Amino acid sequence: MKRKFEHPAPAPSEQLTGPKYWRSLDELAGTPGFKAQLEREFPEGADSIDGVDRRNFMKIMAASFALGGVGLAGCRRPEKYIMPYGKSVEGIIPGLPAYYATAMPLRKVAIPLLAETHQGRPTKVEGNPSYAPNGGAASLLAQASILDLYDPDRATAHTKGGAVLSRAQVDEMLAGISEKHVASQGAGLAFLAEESSSPTRRRLVGILRAKFPRAIWSEYEPVVDEAPVAAAQTAFGAALKPVYDFAKAKRIVSIDADFLQTEAGSLQYARGFSRGRRVTKKDDPMNRLYVAESRLSLTGSMADHRLRLASSHALAFVAKLASAVYPQAADVLIPYTQGLNVPQKWIDECAADLLAHRGAAVVLAGAHLPAEVHAVVYGINAALEAIGQTVRFVPAEATPGVSSLKALANALKAGSVKTLVVLGGNPVYNAPADLEWAGLQKSVAEVVRLGYYVDETSSANSAATTHLAAAHYLESWGDARTADGTIVPIQPMIQPLFGGLTEIEVLARLAGAKETDSYQLVSTTIAAIAGGGAEKTMARFLHDGLLSGSASPEVAVTFNSNAVRDSLGAATQVSVLGLNNLEVRFVTDAKMDDGRFANNGWLQECPDPITKISWDNAILVSPRLAKQLGIVPGGSLIQVARKEEAEFTMGKENAHVFELTVGGRKIRGPVHIQPGLANFTVVVPIGYGRTVVGHVGKGAGFNASSIRTSDAMHVAVGGKLTDTGTRSLLANTQEHWSMEGRDIIREANYEGANSYRENPGFVNTIGMESHTPSNLGAVGEKMTPADRASKLPRGNSLYQTPQFDGLHQWGMSIDLNTCIGCNACVVACQAENNIPIVGRDQVMRGREMHWIRIDRYYSTGDIDAEAFGGAGNNQLPGDSDDPTAPVQVSLQPMTCVHCELAPCETVCPVNATVHDEEGINTMAYNRCIGTRYCANNCPYKVRRFNFFDWNQRSLDSLYLGQLAEYGMPELVKMAKNPEVTVRMRGVMEKCTYCVQRIQKGKIQHKVKMAQAGTPGRVEVPDGTIKAACEQTCPVEAIVFGNLLDKESRVSKAKAREQDYAVLGYLNIRPRTTYSGKIRNPNPKMPDYQPLPMSRVEYDKKNVPPAHDAGHGQADPHGGEKKAEKKATSHGSLDTFMHFGGLS
Amino acid sequence: MSKLFPKSANKLPLQIVIYLVLLAGIATAGVTYYMTPKYTRVGYAPVQPVPFSHAKHVQEVGLDCRYCHSNVDKSGHSNVPSAQTCMNCHSIIKPNSPLLAPIRESYANGTPVPWIWIHRTPDYAYFNHSVHVNRGVSCVECHGKVNEMDTVTHMQPLSMAFCLECHRNPEARLRQPADVFNLNSQRLADQGPAGVKKATDFVHDWKVKPPQSCSGCHR
Repeated sequence: MKRKFEHPAPAPSEQLTGPKYWRSLDELAGTPGFKAQLEREFPEGADSIDGVDRRNFMKIMAASFALGGVGLAGCRRPEKYIMPYGKSVEGIIPGLPAYYATAMPLRKVAIPLLAETHQGRPTKVEGNPSYAPNGGAASLLAQASILDLYDPDRATAHTKGGAVLSRAQVDEMLAGISEKHVASQGAGLAFLAEESSSPTRRRLVGILRAKFPRAIWSEYEPVVDEAPVAAAQTAFGAALKPVYDFAKAKRIVSIDADFLQTEAGSLQYARGFSRGRRVTKKDDPMNRLYVAESRLSLTGSMADHRLRLASSHALAFVAKLASAVYPQAADVLIPYTQGLNVPQKWIDECAADLLAHRGAAVVLAGAHLPAEVHAVVYGINAALEAIGQTVRFVPAEATPGVSSLKALANALKAGSVKTLVVLGGNPVYNAPADLEWAGLQKSVAEVVRLGYYVDETSSANSAATTHLAAAHYLESWGDARTADGTIVPIQPMIQPLFGGLTEIEVLARLAGAKETDSYQLVSTTIAAIAGGGAEKTMARFLHDGLLSGSASPEVAVTFNSNAVRDSLGAATQVSVLGLNNLEVRFVTDAKMDDGRFANNGWLQECPDPITKISWDNAILVSPRLAKQLGIVPGGSLIQVARKEEAEFTMGKENAHVFELTVGGRKIRGPVHIQPGLANFTVVVPIGYGRTVVGHVGKGAGFNASSIRTSDAMHVAVGGKLTDTGTRSLLANTQEHWSMEGRDIIREANYEGANSYRENPGFVNTIGMESHTPSNLGAVGEKMTPADRASKLPRGNSLYQTPQFDGLHQWGMSIDLNTCIGCNACVVACQAENNIPIVGRDQVMRGREMHWIRIDRYYSTGDIDAEAFGGAGNNQLPGDSDDPTAPVQVSLQPMTCVHCELAPCETVCPVNATVHDEEGINTMAYNRCIGTRYCANNCPYKVRRFNFFDWNQRSLDSLYLGQLAEYGMPELVKMAKNPEVTVRMRGVMEKCTYCVQRIQKGKIQHKVKMAQAGTPGRVEVPDGTIKAACEQTCPVEAIVFGNLLDKESRVSKAKAREQDYAVLGYLNIRPRTTYSGKIRNPNPKMPDYQPLPMSRVEYDKKNVPPAHDAGHGQADPHGGEKKAEKKATSHGSLDTFMHFGGLS
Repeated sequence: MSKLFPKSANKLPLQIVIYLVLLAGIATAGVTYYMTPKYTRVGYAPVQPVPFSHAKHVQEVGLDCRYCHSNVDKSGHSNVPSAQTCMNCHSIIKPNSPLLAPIRESYANGTPVPWIWIHRTPDYAYFNHSVHVNRGVSCVECHGKVNEMDTVTHMQPLSMAFCLECHRNPEARLRQPADVFNLNSQRLADQGPAGVKKATDFVHDWKVKPPQSCSGCHR
């Protein structure tokens, strides 16, 4: 019989014998929360199998092991075939990608692109560098749009009432509609389309209207991203829209305008903004950004001064600002500012700063704000002499005779519409709730819908609806305009996979035009615009990817102040917001847009840039409101510095579900506490909660459109939140909100004491390195980056790293000063490197696979040193009556930094991760056995493990293991980059610096040089090889290249004084380094902060107040560093002692 | 009751263990020896849909490799010619040969001829033809004397060890760039002391540094 020993529990006295060491106050406290956290470095569940313990698992698996043994019979590899073309295809070389110019249209602005195709299969898009304002960048949505092409859930046939229609039947039906209505001149015929900038569509609508003058042509967009034309109509007497030049702007005021992310033209605005923001040396100028907004947008996160302003108070705010900028107008405008809670000094100093930069300042308002706000803003710009300098006005083209959705709804109500043609859009899902569109659409006898998906609109009344499958833009011929009006081609990369139709072809057929071929239609339009021979013009147009000289001409304007004054209406007090009178702000989601990308897995999984929630939307509330609602969490034990904003149980955000009521309409959704919001503004992202959607989008979020009404599409007042008492889990990828006074992101002000201009090498005065001798030693410190990369000795470690004797030494520099956190790099990397999606459930377990992520930290500076020893600071950041109280945001792209002395390598038992001779930390997937030691030992947490066979199994059957269906849908296979291995279950992966691009660049250069007769010149010139993240970065924050080339951009970036290594004190020598973040606050502003908030927190944590006398408050480390140089022994000993907490 | 097991059965467990160990040893040795690419691949000569003879086309007709494999010096992938390339000549020569029926069919309706892939590297190994043939590595090094083959046969193991053999010592394998497509030419190193010097100079002047780390071939 087995004997069982019961070990007695140690006596309490026993536990406490001997000296007691503790690593943090919580460990000392022995709090249960800390103990739980201690158990797992990875989030809960990251290493367990759901519902199956190990023993059970072995039992089940034994059967499959046995089966595996039986299958040994075939040792020869299966036969594979080489399938050459029957007839050679011009211009195609098997194995080499071809690039074609095209463009992604979205509302009125297209993004010019270059599509990479592999034997006719597009796999990746990049920005078209020929279009200078975007400079080869592509947005987050553009990067992800290619996945839609290969979406297995897209509409694959033309159908009517469930029956498939052949192409001939479709043509016949369209011709039939045309014939039927021609006699009545189109009475009873109505069109509902999306906004578009296509010159061809404009031309066809003209033809259509000529043929059917009584037909209704209406356009609807649930998202507005361009300034209202009415404002320019009032202010300048013409239909114009503003185009900004942020590169020239030294002072920028943005009122609720997210011009870096969701507004039209954001790509080129971000690029321009970064030009004015980038500081490479001491004397470089730097722009200053003031933001007044109700939500926390990416633009707001870049602000130097940020005011939390309710959107419904925007008119009062601009009136106040205008009267400060232009006192002559004060008499008229001041009545509109009644009740506005903004410090007068804030306005006055901001205005003074703008006036000091006349001609180089610009003010802009969010597209969703009313026309009056824009008209006043135009007045401010006129007073600042900005017009013609930083902002120019160009004609705003609207489709002639266009009517609104409301007008169309009225016609439907009246029953005068017999045939409704819906081109794109999804009105049943996202039309304003008061129109009750679904019912109206059902009342129409015949509906023709051109749609990419069989969605809510197509299936509303499927018996009466003919659904025409639309072609993806990568399957279509077309044209569009960019933000500055330049005409760009939309060129197909592949034949429509499912015979989809283009919008222009449908229009041409409905108009009964002789010419119906999309290419011909575009060609005719372009030839008419550009003149010259159609064939030659078209060839040039397609080659360049744009029609040069077609940008909209600037229109000279004069501001008509009287007209604007008259348009303002009666002055009223601003609405008083509060718990029972909330402002509800409907915002465009950075990923879903208006819901059209709901079935795009890359976008669903990409975390929101600010909230970091993926796969869901949430009702965002301010900390003050959360407190009043009684949902302030008890505070996390991990975050000693302050309370956790949201409750995280087991790494999942456990959100309260609230019901939001506006105007009698209700929605339910999880509440997420978001610092930086105006106190009583509730932010609701649209584009989620689709009901008729594919596998990916099912169950993602709630539909905010159901409480939008046509008179309050973007801002509604009078909202109320009520607790439902339930909870729901959100997949939030970043539960840590604060840097807790650590030195991960190093920041300085541009000017003033302790600033960048005072000490451009400020990064070296922060962090452990400021207290210790350099890791590189005296010799290493003097070396150039090139020598450091190749010649610096790497210690006498037992672990041998190869000699870095390659002809290139790769490195990367990321400029935190210009990074706007748009996440385009995240999806670009996903597309380039065949990175799978894992689904909401797995994201909650911390298993997301993104190789690059963007970390977002808030800092408010109001932690105190006591927080680290005492009860902690129980203040929620941003919980303040003062709308100027700072909530600073710091963003940091984080990916494998390719440490020269990589901690992951030393722990790998099978040498699956090793260095190559060019300094890349490589992963050999076929060596990896999945111990995950490397991920444990990685200080940056950038390694990703394939817990499941994400690529071969569908996400809803992951836990079925071998029982699940194996294999990728054929369509999904087509999206994969053939240059990169598709990883399987059980292997680790991470950023490779896009090694496939490096090898391709090197090989192509070698081949070129060998054929040119200079075979020895094998070093690749700078800029030839671009990492995917770098290539798409709109703000050029990421620079990659060869460190041995002293003239390379990366060498120059690393030579900047503000260059630093994150966790550099570990002596792991990362190849990716960061340029410190610089803020440019105005010393005269009331909310001026002499130090960035993260720096304040750092100082508070690391410099206890008792030491103030010794350190000098203003210069805690910088001064010391200087002192060290004079008297090393004293300085370093002193700092060492207090850093260790000994003194 | 008689004994169920004789006394000799006492040794049975030990015998079983010994036999099992022996058997496992033999199996392991067998697998290691015979299941390597050296055995599984070398000599593989499948029957192709068209019995194309390289020997005839190179030696009798005098075609260069690049007439058919036209992108081998441009692309990583050495293309197998399209049916159109075959038809350049075979629309005149042997236009009605039954053996060429698959080619004519492919040319007429665009369906590819399913050539059986012989020299196949694993999916995770990214071999690039263009960089090798442009920098002094002849076809013959990996493919053998294809110019003398009636049926293409797998001649080399094409295992990682095989690749590394050359990557660690490129001097021994290089040819004059002009000789790369001449499969009967000699390696520089085999051309006596002068050749050896030429090979050393080649490696130095062309900066031939074949990658020996994972990232060279695995992505």
